[in-house]
Amino acid sequence: MVKLEELRKEARRLLAEGEVRCIIGYLRNPADGKAVPGFIRKPEEADALVWDPTCFHNLARFLVDEKRRKAREKNPDTRPVGLVVKGCDSRAVVVLLQEKFIERGDVVLLGLSCEKTGVVDERKLAKAVPGRALRQVEFGGEEEFLVTTEDGQVRIPAGDVLADRCLECPANFPVLSDWLQGEKTKRAPAGLFASVEPFEARSTEEKWDFWLTQLRKCVRCYACRSVCPMCYCDECVVDTINLAVTPDTTAEEKAQKIRWVEKSPVDSENIFYHLVRALHLAGRCVDCGECERACPVNIPLRQLNKKMEKEAKTLFGYDVGFDPDTPALISCFRDEDPQDFIR
Amino acid sequence: MTEEFEPKIVAFLCKWCSSAGSDLAGVSRMEYPPNVVPIQVMCSGSISPLYILSAFNRGADGVLVSGCHPGDCHYIKGNMYARRKLALVKKLLEHVGLESQRFQMSWVSAAEGQKYTQIIKDLVQQLKPLGPQTKLRRID
Amino acid sequence: MDNILPKKDLSRWLEKMAHAAVYAPRLVDDIWSYEIVTDPGSVTLEYPMTAVPAKKIIFPQREILFEYGADGDSGPEIKERLPEDKPVVILGLRPCEARAVILTDKVFGGELKDIYYWRRREAVTLVGLVCASPPSANCFCLSVGGSPRSREGLDILLTGLGESYYVQALTPKGEKLVREGGALFRPPQPGEKQSAETIQAESEGKLSRELKDIEDVPRKLKGMFDSPFWDEESLSCIRCGICTYLCPTCHCFDINDEAVSSSPLRGRRVRTWDTCQFPDFTMHSSGHNPRPDKASRLRQRINHKFQYFVETWQCYQCTGCGRCISLCPVGIDIIKVVEKVRDHAS
Repeated sequence: MVKLEELRKEARRLLAEGEVRCIIGYLRNPADGKAVPGFIRKPEEADALVWDPTCFHNLARFLVDEKRRKAREKNPDTRPVGLVVKGCDSRAVVVLLQEKFIERGDVVLLGLSCEKTGVVDERKLAKAVPGRALRQVEFGGEEEFLVTTEDGQVRIPAGDVLADRCLECPANFPVLSDWLQGEKTKRAPAGLFASVEPFEARSTEEKWDFWLTQLRKCVRCYACRSVCPMCYCDECVVDTINLAVTPDTTAEEKAQKIRWVEKSPVDSENIFYHLVRALHLAGRCVDCGECERACPVNIPLRQLNKKMEKEAKTLFGYDVGFDPDTPALISCFRDEDPQDFIR
Repeated sequence: MTEEFEPKIVAFLCKWCSSAGSDLAGVSRMEYPPNVVPIQVMCSGSISPLYILSAFNRGADGVLVSGCHPGDCHYIKGNMYARRKLALVKKLLEHVGLESQRFQMSWVSAAEGQKYTQIIKDLVQQLKPLGPQTKLRRID
Repeated sequence: MDNILPKKDLSRWLEKMAHAAVYAPRLVDDIWSYEIVTDPGSVTLEYPMTAVPAKKIIFPQREILFEYGADGDSGPEIKERLPEDKPVVILGLRPCEARAVILTDKVFGGELKDIYYWRRREAVTLVGLVCASPPSANCFCLSVGGSPRSREGLDILLTGLGESYYVQALTPKGEKLVREGGALFRPPQPGEKQSAETIQAESEGKLSRELKDIEDVPRKLKGMFDSPFWDEESLSCIRCGICTYLCPTCHCFDINDEAVSSSPLRGRRVRTWDTCQFPDFTMHSSGHNPRPDKASRLRQRINHKFQYFVETWQCYQCTGCGRCISLCPVGIDIIKVVEKVRDHAS
């Protein structure tokens, strides 16, 4: 059982003793009762921290911002950042450590277990309590959520509103932490990679029809990229200009920059972007589900990344985000890696 | 009279083995279909998935990546990385519904001119019935 | 002129618009959006806020401006590609969307009219729908000069009355469209006009959010340009493009040449949506970027909506649709930010 008061106590202590320069956690948005990411710096602000099934954001994403901020400051505060993490978020931190993007001493991980449930899917929740203004969602003990709306409180079975990725979660407790609350439960109610299997059963043409219809909706807002902790490249494949330009860069160099994909949101370019992103995340995506949640036009993005995660496991025996000392998926190999597809 | 469809194949060939193998085929006057646009790279391990996606985006009907046999890589293990990376590319392309014959990989050594010509002949035969690649292609 | 259209006859009216491209809200994968009507019988105007606003119809995300080519000896040739002259009808538009069109007209109009925008703008007939109840929990149109029953920018205003629509044609274009419906329309009976007016008046009392007392905000914003306020407010921003791409009044764009081939030389110049929230939006050719951090970019968005537009056009650029609030992945709320500006001790 996760005790919120213990989290607030630890956060208060870390800030009071100056062990961290800030803590990134979840605060409540009074307008709709859901959690939002927040930054606290003073011990008294620790009372604003919350923990409930609407804490679906992956706060590891903000480690990227903290690194950029430190790089820009002349005399940066070198104390670590406190970070509230769920299981999936902690695995994202593991990947950042594997890639040496951050060092272990840069972050103090305040781990919270999702225990027997997980976080909600906002759209499923809206359907469960249609039209009623939300006040709060709480963990309700054995596999239930307590949802308070303007009309009162209802108990909803967690399975009805759980985010899809929670149904396939390999470990809904932080695998790495400096402080941990809650039981370590391993559960994947639907089975690992269960959502990929129906896709694999389709014919080639069915697969294509599905993905064309879905990726055609993309408006290239890049929310999927922006919300992902692993998409930390300052200059991305899809950026049309070179961010490493200086006054000395010649016009010819600028003109020669390869443009892999056009900005136009047409089918071929949308598909190119999403395929490249899935490949760049192979062996790095921990299925925190944020890309799919953030997408304003409801593209099932998890299905691209989950397939890569499944292949990493099936073909190469690779588990993503459990061990910071494991090399990246594509920077290692085994002699017995399959080559039946190679002539 | 309709012209028979001739697939356009982009072949990424590693300089030390496969590209040399294709040269051997040429020098030995072996005949094989002219559908290939060969691109020499230093090592199959240096091939980014971007190259393959870009080839399809610009209209290639088929893409071949060919490198040294395991153990023979000029850079020791570049082809081992390629084996992993490109397996993932193949799986992803199949997952979105691109016909699996369109992207293929092979190990061709500098002495295997014959094998190279056979690979190209077979690839052309497999791609002809599929027709032009329109799924990933950029519309001009 | 006022008329009544039974809701069951909506599809028949749509069928009579065969000469035009008709857009209406449609549910696709749990998301509502304005799409071309293919099945008039399935059109419903009971819908919440769409994700992508109707601006995508008049100001499409991709617009080919011209094509260029050079064939051998004849030298380079440029072919302008203007939007085709086909009439367009947008059905069931929210009043905030129509207001957004009026605001965007100011930007693309004036002395230097944007011909691509105006071609589409003049071809479109806007059929609006009174928001009897707010389509979004984050609607606040009343606070920024709009209203759920506003006629601004509309050619026709529909008010839902149980089994029928109260149809008010507001412009000659609107009247023409009603006439095309012929006998499907009938004059209102006594009491129906009263019902429509009651629904319209009551709609203004149903919004759950408001942004009060912001008259001084434009002046305040001017003084807060260098304030560390923006660093704090932008901490959780992840610099995606959702707030701006899905905003009905945002209209920034990028222009790129898409090369088809270099020999023979062929390509096209394309205008696409762009957003001040992307880090490279203000990147100069020299490498200098006047808005290199999230703080300056958030400041830009708020200033544009609540200061710069006010200085130029004497009204807010925000229409209170609430999309940026509902869809921001990290819960940044423009109402809260502007309230904090209002209350800022500066």
